[in-house]
Amino acid sequence: MQRIKGRNVNLVLMLFTITLFQLICFVSLITNVSEEYRSGILITFGGYLLVEYAYFIGARMILKRKGFEVELIAFLLTSIGLSITASVYPDGILKQFIAVLIGIFGFVLLQWIMRDLKLCTSIRVPVAVIAFGLLAATIVLAKVTNGAKNWVYIGGISVQPSELVKVAFIFVGAASLEKLQSNRSLTKFIVFAFGCVGALFLMYDFGTALIFFFTFIVISFMRSGDIRTIVLVCTVALMGGLLVLIFKPYVANRFEAYGHVWEHFYTSGYQQTRTMIYSASGGLFGVGLGNGKLRDIFAATEDLVFGVVCEEFGMIMAGAILLSYVALLVYSIRHSKYARSSFYAICACAASALMLFQAALNVFGVNDILPLTGVTLPFISRGGSSIISCWMLLAFIKAVDRSTYRYGGVRQ
Amino acid sequence: MKSISRRALSLYLIIILFLAGCGLLFYNLVSNSSDWAMNRVNQHLYSSGNLATAGDITDINGNILASTKNGKRIYSDSKNVRLATLHTVGDSAGFIASGIQTSFKDELTGYTLVDGVYNLKRYGKGNDVKLTLNSDVCAVAYKALGNRKGTVGVMNYKTGELICIVSTPTYDIKNKPEDINTNTTDKYEGIYMNRFFSGLYTPGSTFKVITGACAIENIPDIYSRTFNCEGKILIGEGYVICNGTHGEIDFETAMNKSCNCAFAKIADELGSEKLTLTAERLGFNTKKMTVSDKITCAKSKLDLSKSKPLDIGWAGIGQYTTLVNPCQMLTIISAIANGGIANNPYIVSEITNPEGNVDFTEKTSEMGELFTPSVAQSLNNILRSNVKNGYGDWRFPDLNMCGKTGTAEISDDEDAKPNALFVGYSQNEDTPFAIIVVVENTTSAIQSAVPIATAVMKEVNRQY
Repeated sequence: MQRIKGRNVNLVLMLFTITLFQLICFVSLITNVSEEYRSGILITFGGYLLVEYAYFIGARMILKRKGFEVELIAFLLTSIGLSITASVYPDGILKQFIAVLIGIFGFVLLQWIMRDLKLCTSIRVPVAVIAFGLLAATIVLAKVTNGAKNWVYIGGISVQPSELVKVAFIFVGAASLEKLQSNRSLTKFIVFAFGCVGALFLMYDFGTALIFFFTFIVISFMRSGDIRTIVLVCTVALMGGLLVLIFKPYVANRFEAYGHVWEHFYTSGYQQTRTMIYSASGGLFGVGLGNGKLRDIFAATEDLVFGVVCEEFGMIMAGAILLSYVALLVYSIRHSKYARSSFYAICACAASALMLFQAALNVFGVNDILPLTGVTLPFISRGGSSIISCWMLLAFIKAVDRSTYRYGGVRQ
Repeated sequence: MKSISRRALSLYLIIILFLAGCGLLFYNLVSNSSDWAMNRVNQHLYSSGNLATAGDITDINGNILASTKNGKRIYSDSKNVRLATLHTVGDSAGFIASGIQTSFKDELTGYTLVDGVYNLKRYGKGNDVKLTLNSDVCAVAYKALGNRKGTVGVMNYKTGELICIVSTPTYDIKNKPEDINTNTTDKYEGIYMNRFFSGLYTPGSTFKVITGACAIENIPDIYSRTFNCEGKILIGEGYVICNGTHGEIDFETAMNKSCNCAFAKIADELGSEKLTLTAERLGFNTKKMTVSDKITCAKSKLDLSKSKPLDIGWAGIGQYTTLVNPCQMLTIISAIANGGIANNPYIVSEITNPEGNVDFTEKTSEMGELFTPSVAQSLNNILRSNVKNGYGDWRFPDLNMCGKTGTAEISDDEDAKPNALFVGYSQNEDTPFAIIVVVENTTSAIQSAVPIATAVMKEVNRQY
């Protein structure tokens, strides 16, 4: 069997290191939080460690897996996100933890579904219909929150359907080998993609629209290799974008501070400048979890969470987080050569590229390198829909590794 | 399958772009870290825009000039010291740009790129900064200036330590006047400016020291020349007016009597090129001086590029468009006192970290040779003769004082009052101090600037 060069990371050593980090966070949280929230944090971190170890032991002992790089990254990043959420919103930590559990369950479930390529092919159309339906329903049902119309409230729980549609989007977009090079199936995907991006535009969720568009480009390139079509699609999209800016100037106003946030210090550059000020305050090693000041600024645990990481965990940790998104994409690219199906290769590359792109929009947005679009930082930002979506996308990356389906094999 | 994995390789392009973005991000963060962290909205360091947690600022004898108590900045107990050191210590809201609390806020808050504001969290304060100032001398200088606008600076010419800096108008930082930003009279004009570092003044006759230096360097027989003063002298197409009618005098007497006729004639003979060359060697037009690496002085100016002979005549006696910065002028005078060698002036003596270890100690550093030893000696003799034969040693008892006054006309308006200046130094081994006094809109230098110099130098002599 062909193997990727280089050895798998030492699971026990890595897991030990990550656990140590998680325990440090946990102890610092427990000692700093008021009495009433201690049980919630105890349940969350105890439960999280339990699930973490159960997953690794199960995968190692029962499924006889050897490579765990992807999950180690995800478990580490998720615990950073949980620590920040627990520290800033101790009352909301259980809700976030439940979302993480759902996400991990979704990760396992989707891996299981994906081992059956026939099943995947047969449910693609229904998934596409449901996904588009969800977006359409959002436009009808959602109320405008913070300038975007992307939240739906179901029985007291707020859901962001567009996050879940990301998973469906890649699932629908990635075709198996026999469908490759067929223009007809690509055309259908183009229609689906433009439907989704258009719906997101109608929700004023430009950040997510951009992520979908980017993912669409990656998928169609991976499928067809046709640069001409992609250039054409990009040109059309660019013109469409320009038309939006001309006829809806308020869209452009949202990004007026871009490039000179310090001149909009108290208005549209407020969040970015505060992020930069407090990021610099953290130094290389941070001021410590709970000691930050950026947390008092609006959307600190969502849009600005990278600044909180810089301030409280330090620049070195922040850099390591950025590199872990790179690692996921490198992992996908390297494994795509040996993937058991082109479907897996495309899914993995699209999912990891999506996360990297989303991380770029988030991190560079709050640091004024790109316009601020208000998307979440994968695995770290607070938000149930976001974390579920991230863990499910991780299943795509996991599936590209040949050894994932070694035990039991892939059903062709 | 091959084609898919080949296409996947193109995704490395995205990784490269991402890493480039990360590079830019961290470059911005690292290169701006101090500026960003020191922003006034940073709640780690500021409370409603005022520096809240910072180390102590003390004078050379350890007297507290600024400190933090219960999250608030407190200042010296003595009102006169507060008023006298306001501009050097600075305010906590950054109105006084050259103040130590603004220019050394990194050090005072203990901010570093590596630790961020962590030291502040850990110790509750940053580094302590010890200044070279002597707060008693400052208080005397402030009292001598009174409610007149101006500045006094005293520097140890052997080391470069600035032991006194006072700038007026000033205010009591403990009770900042409410109308300070709204008052439209000139009561608070330039109140946030430290005139010693940022001021530019017409030097008047104090500039004759520089014209004199240029003459000694370029006219070999200058000491055997005589000048005829009839109260005014025709240079080019106009007259330069003198402060008296001195008759036939030699070079040294001309300096003693501050004879405009003699020095306008000398300047005319030297010409714009030689005068400019000397002035630029001393730092005019060329560089802004920095004190303790962080405080930038205004640049002294001598521009004779478009001047006619009459203009050069006026420039030679410190009028025309000539402007000097008090700190720079004091450095030049100090060089004369120090055998021609100028030392870099400094204000921060020591920085002590919260653990009590001295992180930084300033040492005397040479700026360079401004005058050859023989020129410095000649100027030294003339300046000594000024006090001995002119102003009178009784004004500066036991100090062996050298000096030169200047009464600078700053307007063609008949009613306008002149600015008065005095530069000088003591030749004594145990009081190696040079002084500059500037008083704005006042009477002649001998009546206004010299008594201030007397009061300050007497206090210096008492203390050292």
